[in-house]
Amino acid sequence: MTGGGQPQRGRKLADRRVRVERPHAPYFRYAGPGQLVAKAAASAATTPSGRLFARVRAFLFGRPLAMEEEATERLPKKQALAIFSSDAISSSAYATEEILRVLVLAGSAAILVSIQIAIAISVLLAVVALSYRQVCRAYPNGGGAYAVARENIGSLASLVAAAGLLIDYVMTVAVSTASAIAQTYSVFPSIFDIRVGVAVLAIALITIANLRGLRESGNIFAVPTYLFLGLALLMVGVGVFRVVTGTAVDVSQADAAPFGTQEFGLFLLLKAFASGSVALTGTEAVANGVPAFKPPESKNAANTLVAMAVLLGVLFIGITVVADGFGILPTREGGQTVVALVATVVFGANSPLFYAFQGATALILFLAANTSFNAFPRLAALLAEDGYMPRQFSFRGDRLAFSWGIVLLAAIAAGLLALFGGETHALIPLYSVGVFLCFTLSQAGMVRHWFNERSSGWAWRATINAIGAILTGVVLVVVAGVKFFDGAYLVVILIPTLVLMMLFIHRQYARSARELSVRPEFVAQAPAREERVIVPVPGINRAVIQAVNVGRSISDDVRAVFIFEDPQAVEAVRVGWERQVPGVPLVVIESPYRALAGPLIAYLDVLDTAWPAGKPAPITFVVIPEYVAKSWWERLLYNQSARRLRTMLLGRPHTVVVNVPYRREDPEAFEPGRLPGTSGG
Amino acid sequence: MSEPHQIVFRRAVIALAGGPADARIVQLVSELGRPVKADIVAVHVVEIGWSLPLDADIAGRSEEAQQILDLAEATAEESKMRLEPILLQARDVGAALVDEATERSADLLVLGLPYRKRFGGDFAIGRTIPYVLKNAPCAVWVVRDPITEEAS
Repeated sequence: MTGGGQPQRGRKLADRRVRVERPHAPYFRYAGPGQLVAKAAASAATTPSGRLFARVRAFLFGRPLAMEEEATERLPKKQALAIFSSDAISSSAYATEEILRVLVLAGSAAILVSIQIAIAISVLLAVVALSYRQVCRAYPNGGGAYAVARENIGSLASLVAAAGLLIDYVMTVAVSTASAIAQTYSVFPSIFDIRVGVAVLAIALITIANLRGLRESGNIFAVPTYLFLGLALLMVGVGVFRVVTGTAVDVSQADAAPFGTQEFGLFLLLKAFASGSVALTGTEAVANGVPAFKPPESKNAANTLVAMAVLLGVLFIGITVVADGFGILPTREGGQTVVALVATVVFGANSPLFYAFQGATALILFLAANTSFNAFPRLAALLAEDGYMPRQFSFRGDRLAFSWGIVLLAAIAAGLLALFGGETHALIPLYSVGVFLCFTLSQAGMVRHWFNERSSGWAWRATINAIGAILTGVVLVVVAGVKFFDGAYLVVILIPTLVLMMLFIHRQYARSARELSVRPEFVAQAPAREERVIVPVPGINRAVIQAVNVGRSISDDVRAVFIFEDPQAVEAVRVGWERQVPGVPLVVIESPYRALAGPLIAYLDVLDTAWPAGKPAPITFVVIPEYVAKSWWERLLYNQSARRLRTMLLGRPHTVVVNVPYRREDPEAFEPGRLPGTSGG
Repeated sequence: MSEPHQIVFRRAVIALAGGPADARIVQLVSELGRPVKADIVAVHVVEIGWSLPLDADIAGRSEEAQQILDLAEATAEESKMRLEPILLQARDVGAALVDEATERSADLLVLGLPYRKRFGGDFAIGRTIPYVLKNAPCAVWVVRDPITEEAS
């Protein structure tokens, strides 16, 4: 296309040149023969309301990113530690308290074993971290327990792991947010009454941050995570020094939870261990998010995992030692948290460092939820790609984030918080079962992986994973057993329910894929079936004439069907039709019951029945004239019958529904002396 | 030691021939033009033989010609620059390039000099480069392909 322009003259008479128009250029780019790539302008809104909506979206979530920009959305280790570790590290803020809340039921003597329990849990953490380091290296595409179990144990085990993980991620958001609120009302008690509203607002803000994309989330979350780490390490260092040097004195607490009179036995010990093992939640997030790391992905992820485990272990044991050294006990509902009390004795009540630490703790706990906002959508996308969740979960939004997963996670977590009144302790029993189930399946899968692969050092690698599998398996039984009646039973019910749901979705997708599949040896031939066109008409107007002309371009067998209620109007329509639309028969159907779609479908059925039995059934094109509404309120006024008719015809065998929109911008085609259906120019 | 010479141009016309040199010269001009926010015009000329009218529908139908310009546009965007792609039909490529550069008051015209591996390997200077060197009113850069060890 040269655009019809005159050749431009050059310096010499013969040096003429013609500029060639490139109509595709604003919207597409050629990437190869017959292969176009759409530019951002191709997806731009064209209506005023659409442009306004796009501007609001861009303000909230940022400008849309192209797929090729994904490579820049990788995380360096420092940012990755902040994003993937905030969940695990922040659990040090409430894990000690969960142990003490159980031990306090058996009196003051039982409190003394809190350090031993914390050390035992940290040993378990070390084993789990070592095991997951191997997952990072063996599975650079991520997926964690789900991917490992799918490849090594089987699809059912992988679905159990996936269900456990999905529950774990939801619980992480709910528990972290609830705990952040608890830290906040440790400083500002008036927030206690509006804690659920604040929690939901916090989740909404994290959701928006994640919908904006990964890198910006990393920037948002790095500062609070490192601020918390710095202050918490300082607090533990100073506190442990005072405990070791004997300068720590027991604090007096007016609102301490009263000591119980339960017997201190194995059950209570196991229950305290199970409650404290909440510290391990979030350990798997790094293994799930390996593809988000900068290259070399596996190595960076494995190193980040070790750094995270060391930091978590130090903080968890340290806080427990300091709490024990100062004789800190958990408080009654609405009182200060244990970690806030530790900060009070170390930094001093109302000191700037105390407020800074409380602020950082609340922030990291709010943001710990972000670990799940990274991991949940990725897992949901993996499941969707495998056909176990609706496909929408694998679609990326404008900012390359898995928007569906992010929004679903936010909605469920916010609902859960509202249901449990924003109470951390009410949510904790639901938490650990799914986590340890995933740990166990993942480690068991890794044992089989090493046995199958038998690469260098496979024996000791398998041994590490086997120890991990046995230990986490035992903890799983303990956690499910001792917390069963506290709420763990809900998870025990929920996991099989989720697995059944995923299997159902998979079966549906598999069935539709079977039904839609084309055999490789099949070669499509031009259709030999006859075609006929039916145009339902409400009278004669420009939209109808345009639809009839479209019908004529499809087949010679075109007939218009006029369904009427008022017999008085029929004759006028018939006469007008024969004069203005010659060559197209008009079938008039009286509808005394005032229905439109029913008589039309019945008429189509009659035509099908009348078709000769020996011939293949024809394809019936129902061409529906429509008037294009310009604005949203016009849409309420027009095309309601057409919409209803279209809905009823969908799925009818051998029937194709064609909508022919009439735009008011082209009225000149119907002016006297012009042929309808021809364009101006 | 003297300071490095600052290369300044405000408007550059890049001649695209459809070879591997295209990406190289677009990248070079984009990098050098970015600090001064230079205007860059990428021109691909489809030569029309005398047996056809000059405005015959040839280049508009050629996906190859469109792709040459689209690739140049994408290469410039990678360097955070925008270029104006122009597709021309002319009897003589060199004359069309010189005329386009003159009309746009360009102060630089850049061409690539490909290395042909066939027939023993040589720089095919052709007739376009000498014409442009002789007739262009602005500075002309001819960017030579590197000679690989294998080729030399």
